[in-house]
This record gives sequence, structure tokens and C-alpha cells, in this order.
Amino acid sequence: MDETELVARLRAGEPEAQRTLYDAHVDKVYRLAHRMTGDDELARDFTQDAFIRVFEKIDQFRGDASIGTWLYAVATRVILNGMRKVKRFRRREVALDDVGVMASSGRRADPDLKTKLHGAIDALPEKYRMVFVMHDIEGYTHEEIAGALGVQPGTSKAQLSRARARLRQSLAAFAPEWAV
Amino acid sequence: MTEDRFERFVRQAGQDYHRPPETPRAEMWAQIEGELAERRKARHPAVVHRLGGRMPSVRWWGLGIAAALLVGIGIGRFLPREPGAAVTIATSDPADGAAGVPATAYRVAATDHLRRVETFLTVFQLEARSGRADEGTIAPAGNLLVTTQLLLDSPASDDVRLRTLLEDVELVLTQIAQYAVGQSPQELEFIDRGMEQRGVLLKLQAAMHAGSAGIQGAL
Repeated sequence: MDETELVARLRAGEPEAQRTLYDAHVDKVYRLAHRMTGDDELARDFTQDAFIRVFEKIDQFRGDASIGTWLYAVATRVILNGMRKVKRFRRREVALDDVGVMASSGRRADPDLKTKLHGAIDALPEKYRMVFVMHDIEGYTHEEIAGALGVQPGTSKAQLSRARARLRQSLAAFAPEWAV
Repeated sequence: MTEDRFERFVRQAGQDYHRPPETPRAEMWAQIEGELAERRKARHPAVVHRLGGRMPSVRWWGLGIAAALLVGIGIGRFLPREPGAAVTIATSDPADGAAGVPATAYRVAATDHLRRVETFLTVFQLEARSGRADEGTIAPAGNLLVTTQLLLDSPASDDVRLRTLLEDVELVLTQIAQYAVGQSPQELEFIDRGMEQRGVLLKLQAAMHAGSAGIQGAL
């Protein structure tokens, strides 16, 4: 089934077409949701919500980009909006200041850099974190990120650069050679 | 350490960041299918099965039980008082329901419920027209819906006009309860338009006005 036929059948509400789209993209959507939330239940909720919205709003798909790109655009919106709404996610975040306090207090003589990195990623602003996770962890291209987030590829590159700079700054206390 | 080495480190160490388990494809697909079916039912209220229908989650049963208790308490609270008081949410005469639930008590409970619904819908409509609806505003919709369905299923619900009003309310509450915060403003507009077309708020206000003297008497 080519994309044109798939979209036509999605517009007709055919369950088989919905399942085809789901099978083709669910792994990437769920992985991204899980990376962003760190919570299996939320990742499932966001993934399900994204697909339901795509199936229900398929008439709004204009065909400017591929159906996959549109799906990721919907999914990233669902994830970012959902995370803002779900307060319990907040407790998972580690403020950048806290990372600094831990570093300066010297409570750990041999800090686990990987753990510190994860804390620093948690503390990134959500849009930077989304770009960082999509590019450096999940391997999306800047073009794919741009399509999903509705920005220019240059913006995606700039946000990734800023995200990395922040991470480097956060980790500098544990690895002085990374100091900018 | 060079920029390249740092990038390699974050890419490698980042792989363990919130590492996802295997995608629960089958479970999520089952949920999606169920939700799509629920939404289709909501768009076609004639096929909504009250109480006997599948509830979306355990949480709804909790709300249902709480709502049933509220209605029960409401009925119990008003039973000893003025059983013949003219509580008139509609124009039919008070009469005992088929299952022995006094019509007066039923109407008091219904009136109390519809007053809450009116307040809820007024606030919801204000938010809907501003293009956003907060989670806190929408949250009571599920509870109100279950109470509406309990009232519709009551053997005392023999008042045709009240029943029609409750059915309108049920439809609107179903749409709101299924609205997920963060959906597009168009979704809110759709619900709001449905409310307007059915004149739900106007009917509620008219019912409250018509029944206000009786309600005051009962309270």
C-alpha cells in the first residue's frame, strides 16, 4: 500500500489502514515518549493519544509532508503538552542547581558521570531536551526534527548546540576538561 | 576533551537515558481501538449503553460509586422532609416511582444535580470560548456524567421533560469527559456548538427557574 492509498484509506476510517500506520511508526513514537517522560504509563498514554488524534484528525492532513512526519508532529505536541500538564513528572526532573550543589559538596568522590549526564538532560528546557533526545539519542535527522517540531532545520541545529553546551557546562564540575 | 569526544560521550551515555522497554504494541493497540470505539459511541448517543456499557477505566467505577452514594445520600436526606413538597423541575405531578423511590426525592436529587451541571457547563463554556480548557475545569465531567446516567436509569425517571433534559446533558458531558486537555481549540468549539444547538444551558436555566420555588421549599 503506497502512501497515497494509505492516506485515502485512513480518511475512510479503515481499521486496516490505521493498523498499518500504527505498525510502521509505533516504535519510534513510543521510544520518544518514553525517553522524554521516563515513565512507561505516560509513554503509553501519549503514544495512544497521538495515534488517536491522527486517526480522528486525518482530514486535517494536507499532504504537505509525509504522513509519518505529520504523525511525529502530532506526537511531539502531545508529549510536550502532556508533560506540562502532568505534575507527577516534575519530581523526576533534577534542577540544574541541584546538580551544581552535588558537584560542589563533593559528597561523591567518584561521581557517576552517566548519572550526572542523565540528571543534566532532565534539567534541560523541554524543547532543547526534545531536540537532544531526538537527534543524539534516537538518531533523527535535523530535517526530521524540523518537520516534527515545525521549525527550520537551522533552528534544530542551534537548539542541539545549546543543549550540548548546557550539558557540558553541567558536567564540567565532574570533568574539568569539559569546561567551556 | 575535544568537542567530538564530548559528543561521543553524550551519545553513548545517553543511550541509557530513560531507556525504553520493548514497545507494548498489542496492549496499546487494544487501548486505541477501545478509545476509538468509545468516541464513535459518543458521537452516536443512541448506541451508548448506560451503566451496562464498557467504562474506560477502573477510575470511572470509583467515580460511579461515589456518585451513587451522593445520589443516595441526597435522596435519603430529603426523604423525611415534606414528602409532598412541590419540587418542580418539570410540570408533572409528584408520584411514587415504580420501584418505590418517591418522585419528590428523585426530583430534588435531580434538581441538585442539574444545578451543579449548570454551574459546570457555564464555567466550561466560558473557557471553551477562550479556546482553552483546564484539566481542573474538565475533571468533574466524568463524575457528573455518571450521576446523570444513574438518574436516567432510575425507575423514578418517568418525567418525560426531565428525561429529555438529562439525555441532552448526558451527551454534552460525554463529549467533555472524553475531551483530552491539550486538544485543539476546534474540539472545544465543536462541543460548545453542540451545547448551543441543543440549547442545553438555556434549558437548564429554565428548569432551575421553573423549579426554584419548590426547591427552596424543600431545602
